[in-house]
Amino acid sequence: MLGKLTWDAIPFDQPIPLAAGAVVALAVLAVLIYITVKGWVPYLWREWITSVDHKRIGVMYVALAILMLMRGFIDAVMMRTQQAVAFRSNGYLPPEHFNQIFSAHGTIMIFFGAMPFMIGLMNFVVPLQLGVRDVAFPTLNSVSFWLTASGALLVNLSLVVGEFSRTGWLPFPPLSEMTYSPGVGVDYYCWALQISGVGTVLTGVNFVTTILKIRAPGMTYMRMPIFCWTALAANLLIVAAFPVLTATLAMLLLDRYLGFHFFTNTGGGNMMMFMNLIWAWGHPEVYILILPAFGVFSCVVPTFSGKPVFGYRSMVMATMAICLIAFMVWLHHFFTMGAGGDVNAIFGTMSAIIAVPTGVKIFNWLFTMYGGRVRFTVPMIWSVAFMITFTVGGLTGVLLAVPPADFMLHNSMFLVAHFHNVIVGGTVFGALAGMTYWFPKAFGFRLHEGWGRWSAYFTIAGFYVVFMPLYVVGLEGMTRRLQHYDVGAWRPWMMVSVFGVLLALVGIVLEIVTIYVSIRDRESLRDEVGDPWDGRTLEWSTASPPPEYNFAVLPHVDHEEYYWRIKQAAARSETLPEEPHYVDIEMPRNSATGFVAAFFATVMGFALIWHIWWMVGVAFVGAYATFVAFAWRDHEEHVIPAETVARNDHARRAARAKALKAYSPR
Amino acid sequence: MSDARQILETAPGDEADVEHEFGGGVMGYTVGLGLAALLTATAFVLPALNLVWPPSLPIALGVLAIAQMGVHVVFFLHVTTGPDNVNNVLALAFGALIVFLIIGGSVWIMHAMNANMMNPAMHM
Repeated sequence: MLGKLTWDAIPFDQPIPLAAGAVVALAVLAVLIYITVKGWVPYLWREWITSVDHKRIGVMYVALAILMLMRGFIDAVMMRTQQAVAFRSNGYLPPEHFNQIFSAHGTIMIFFGAMPFMIGLMNFVVPLQLGVRDVAFPTLNSVSFWLTASGALLVNLSLVVGEFSRTGWLPFPPLSEMTYSPGVGVDYYCWALQISGVGTVLTGVNFVTTILKIRAPGMTYMRMPIFCWTALAANLLIVAAFPVLTATLAMLLLDRYLGFHFFTNTGGGNMMMFMNLIWAWGHPEVYILILPAFGVFSCVVPTFSGKPVFGYRSMVMATMAICLIAFMVWLHHFFTMGAGGDVNAIFGTMSAIIAVPTGVKIFNWLFTMYGGRVRFTVPMIWSVAFMITFTVGGLTGVLLAVPPADFMLHNSMFLVAHFHNVIVGGTVFGALAGMTYWFPKAFGFRLHEGWGRWSAYFTIAGFYVVFMPLYVVGLEGMTRRLQHYDVGAWRPWMMVSVFGVLLALVGIVLEIVTIYVSIRDRESLRDEVGDPWDGRTLEWSTASPPPEYNFAVLPHVDHEEYYWRIKQAAARSETLPEEPHYVDIEMPRNSATGFVAAFFATVMGFALIWHIWWMVGVAFVGAYATFVAFAWRDHEEHVIPAETVARNDHARRAARAKALKAYSPR
Repeated sequence: MSDARQILETAPGDEADVEHEFGGGVMGYTVGLGLAALLTATAFVLPALNLVWPPSLPIALGVLAIAQMGVHVVFFLHVTTGPDNVNNVLALAFGALIVFLIIGGSVWIMHAMNANMMNPAMHM
């Protein structure tokens, strides 16, 4: 009846996951009871859960990402403390638990922390910057989000029901095959990623279509802000790379469920093909994570330097070059596999070459700052920290791209330090810069500057103190994923590293304090005008938070930096542009399709993991019925009357007119 | 409703009628279906009927497969050389390049590895 699922699946004998699971379950239950008692459920259902508004979906993506980043950080704390105490002893985490922790840390941070954060920012910002009302397929967007959330739910469920994968963040066979991983851990991993992977591909399709097909009149490619370019490149990579991941995991699942021999060491299988395919996805993936962050910095740096971005065209070229070369470097993840000198030389060279367009970008940001009137706000602090940190990480990456050096450093702590240096220093700093930068646009008030500043300082310092020692122990020969060790020379560095975790923890607590204080003091942090940073791109031309339809009248973009120009013109003439003629606006209706489909997808994933075949069938029929119901609906849009649009826009114009008097044109 | 309004004020995702484009409309799909079916049938008939020199069969099947892809691209995916088709052509080129890189790269890598990692005894 319930397949492999029995009471043994609950880890009653392991206090740490059980206690953690109980706390989380109680917290979730408490939140659910609280919002039910407060009567917020109808509001949440109507305005958020069923929303197809790209801004709401973007905010939900970021909220999910922040939650998952914290979950991943707890794993990180456990790993660092384990390695700090596990010197000539077993520490406090038994090996099978430690292995689950580093696997869950990587999986959650990449797939459910960094990815949703970047996709969330793209969701919120891209349509606003393109000057349009929504993405190309709004309901599909909601489906994407809820499928991602479904995958995140399954991964976290493995904490208390069953176990998680012990193979590392990528399930390398033969370890991940049935012979060596007979439990449900790898199945949790695979199904969670298959479900969220569908969501990610749909996001890619949606955004490529949006950016190529739906832009404001006059918004030619060369007038798009850099963030839209990097979003386009990242989504092209998603569309091209994620099917490879899905196919690879599907083959692994066939091996595990139906006794196939794609990657086994018997029956003619070849596990090296898994390495090859997973990295053919895996390397583009790191550029999917970093390109949107590059876009964030390309918005933040010009805004706070008071100058247009330096070398716009070279920026676009660099972005698209990265997009292409990203598919030519994947072998550098397995130089040591034995493909030989010729292959290694080519892929090593390509890996060094891809640093060139990235270097172009770094110089462009530096030259954007040069001669500008730089304001060191919180997003700018993250950006400067990024430029330094990412350069260090990039240089160690170029070092690792040299095959002979890689043979010494493969799978060492040096590698761990390198990829955290680029992912934390690039993607996470970019995410936090972007969140601080666009927070006022999303919620109508800024984040508190002082607290945010201290949060940034502590997080940045924490990052360096954690990871610089890992470079050292890596060079001294420490490999990654050690549950315990007995080399005395490593010990002091591990102690320094765990102190860095403490600093980063302070940074995260301060970030939470920042959000709390900002919400409490929101009246004094209010953004009345909709342009709190003196921004240059179209999202700052509308109100904060923007109305559902984004723009009362779609802008007619007739120049690069269109918004900056009309703002300067308005400031010089001290009059706003002429009042436009308002008309009715059609917007897509909200739809529960995404939420319901993802509910069934979660049930189906759970049933597949535990071999509960009847439940798989029921859930599949349910998901398909949801799709049919959506496809047959005949009432798709609702109309916002011109009077409402005019009323909202008059309020915006009044605030702008007032602000115009205080604004000095450049 | 004026033309300008129609362009500007439609909901996201709405698009203009595409009946006029080459390979569009019911006629286009019918022709495409016919061609695709014909090519599929040929691929089955050729080996069965002994019409061509047997060693050339794989090449003939390859040609038919490529022609099949061409039919799908033109009649079902509507990738043509029309002026409003730059995006589609670029997308197709990008896709083809990625497929080439991943498949070509994989074949090369796996071949090199098999050559290098072979048990020396098996070379004899």
